Amino acid sequence: MQQLLFILFSVIILGAALMVVTTKNLFHAALFLILSFFGVAGFYVLLEAGFFAVAQVLVYIGAISILIIFAVMLTRGMQSMTPRNSQAVTAAVVCGIIFVVLLLVFQPAIISIDFSRVISTSTARQLGGIPWANDPAFTSKAVASTMTDDYIRAFGNALTDPSQYAVPFELASVLILLALIGAIWVARERRPFEILAERAEISRELAEEEAADAAAAQPAPAPTPLPEAAHATATQSDGH
Amino acid sequence: MDSSLLQSLLDAIGNFIKGIFSFSPMIGDLVVMGLAAVVLMTVAAVSFMYLTYAERKIVARIQDRIGPNQAGPFGLLVPLADGVKMFTKEDTTPTKADRWVYNIAPLIIAVFALSGYAVLPFAPGVVGTALNVGVLYTIAIGSGAIVAIIMAGWGSNNKYALLGAFRTVAQLVGYEVPMILNVLPVVMMAGSLSFIDIVYRQTSFNGNPGIPFILYFPLSAIVFLISGIAETARSPFDLLEAESEIVAGFHVEYSGMKFALFFLGEYVNALAVSIIFSTLFLGGFAGPGASVLGPVWLLVKVAAVFTIFMWLRGTLPRVRVDQMHDMNWKFFVPVSIINVLMVMILGKIFVPTEQIAALSGTGLVVGHGGQAVIMFVASIALGAIALSLAGRNARAQRIAEERTLATRMAENMLASNRAVATGK
Repeated sequence: MQQLLFILFSVIILGAALMVVTTKNLFHAALFLILSFFGVAGFYVLLEAGFFAVAQVLVYIGAISILIIFAVMLTRGMQSMTPRNSQAVTAAVVCGIIFVVLLLVFQPAIISIDFSRVISTSTARQLGGIPWANDPAFTSKAVASTMTDDYIRAFGNALTDPSQYAVPFELASVLILLALIGAIWVARERRPFEILAERAEISRELAEEEAADAAAAQPAPAPTPLPEAAHATATQSDGH
Repeated sequence: MDSSLLQSLLDAIGNFIKGIFSFSPMIGDLVVMGLAAVVLMTVAAVSFMYLTYAERKIVARIQDRIGPNQAGPFGLLVPLADGVKMFTKEDTTPTKADRWVYNIAPLIIAVFALSGYAVLPFAPGVVGTALNVGVLYTIAIGSGAIVAIIMAGWGSNNKYALLGAFRTVAQLVGYEVPMILNVLPVVMMAGSLSFIDIVYRQTSFNGNPGIPFILYFPLSAIVFLISGIAETARSPFDLLEAESEIVAGFHVEYSGMKFALFFLGEYVNALAVSIIFSTLFLGGFAGPGASVLGPVWLLVKVAAVFTIFMWLRGTLPRVRVDQMHDMNWKFFVPVSIINVLMVMILGKIFVPTEQIAALSGTGLVVGHGGQAVIMFVASIALGAIALSLAGRNARAQRIAEERTLATRMAENMLASNRAVATGK
């Protein structure tokens, strides 16, 4: 049963991720990304970490996906963007290399999949029946002992304990505060003199550009009319 | 708590069905779970039908008229008539609308609205799934519905629908913040994110005080209620989807059954918010008397809260969108943050029992009642200070506005006098 769910969630995640990178419509790509986030939340549930599954839905789907959708919708030419760019081949080669490297790192796990354990109905806390490394710390017994029913309390303790993860937690909150202040500063309401200053600067830059264009266009037609102009002025001055 | 009548009944039905499928317990489990889900959804959908009827009648009485009374005795068959109307309306699709996105959006809203009922306890032992992160699940479900609104707005291929969807999403995402911040004091006091634990903390079972959390945190309760109304985009926060504003917002291109699904989503959400409020702050199925009466007490509380929703709808005018965002980010969020800090500090200083003081090493023991009184007084004090500051701020703003208006009018008059004088 657990293996069935694992296969189902894997299909959802991989299928949705494939559609994200191959579909032509950028908005559909964002929606498929949301689907793959749901699949990841499902994985968290399989690992019996319900809090993280719900936090995944709340943060990724409830906030980050909405941000991505807003960014996509404010992009001009969204409908006509092609899904390929000139670096597609290089990217594919690099991804293939990384895939092969990861396969070699997890080599013992892939080779020793025990298929008799794959379709079991036990409540073993391992993902899909695969022993993720030959390291005894990763065997099912060790994993089972860390995810007890009290894991939310342990998580909270870990986040606030100075000897565990309190410092990264505080740094992350400072980072978010910086981003917030930056966003408010960039999107602030401009006072009238600021608006006038910006407009003056823009018009000055435009004038400089036009002068540069005119100076660049000057030398080409200049030589030919000169002799005739000199001849014309000479005849006119003669006519006086 | 001894099991209620409802739990025994449901257990009997569940065991009977599992007995039928005794050849494969997995299928038996799946069938029972499926049946439970269907029952929950039916309860939610049928209550939605008669909630629309109740709303129309109550709002009508507030507006000094009678409301629907032609279809059936006292108008009781009006929901059925509405259903027939929704089914037989033409099912249009705008040209060049994105078919998949346009058609799936109402489904997603309905699914998310109905999924929120899975963690609500209706009686001791009667709950869809006893998640130990129930509160967080409810909030995550609420934010999942936001994606469906963007899909509806974008899939309609209509500029006004898209704008309406953006503004609705801004409102919903904005009011999630005070909602979550005001659930925090309840979660801190109860020590758990599970709805069942929170309800048991408000009963007098197993040494718990029988004090509902609204007596501990009245300010949190009020702000949570207002955020809940804004989350479901009901009046007075329905500027973004009322028919006379921004052309009904994100569901302007929907008609017939799809609009009915949006409508269902809104009312089912509102009912879910009432049940959540009753569970978190009023005590859920707890009440004097035998535990058999659990669902009855919950029904009474939910009806009271939903009547408050309908009362606000019938009496208050709509809030303008900039006023709503002002209120949220400049008043509710700071007050909620200060409230959380205050509850944290007071909860550590004034502990109810000896054991908790021994656990954390500090604290004055005041008993459960004493702690409740202290939190209540502090909450009311914070609310009074915040409201007076906000009132002073609003008055200063209004005076400044009037001053600029007066100067501008004076300038206009001077200019027109000058024009008249020189014109002559």
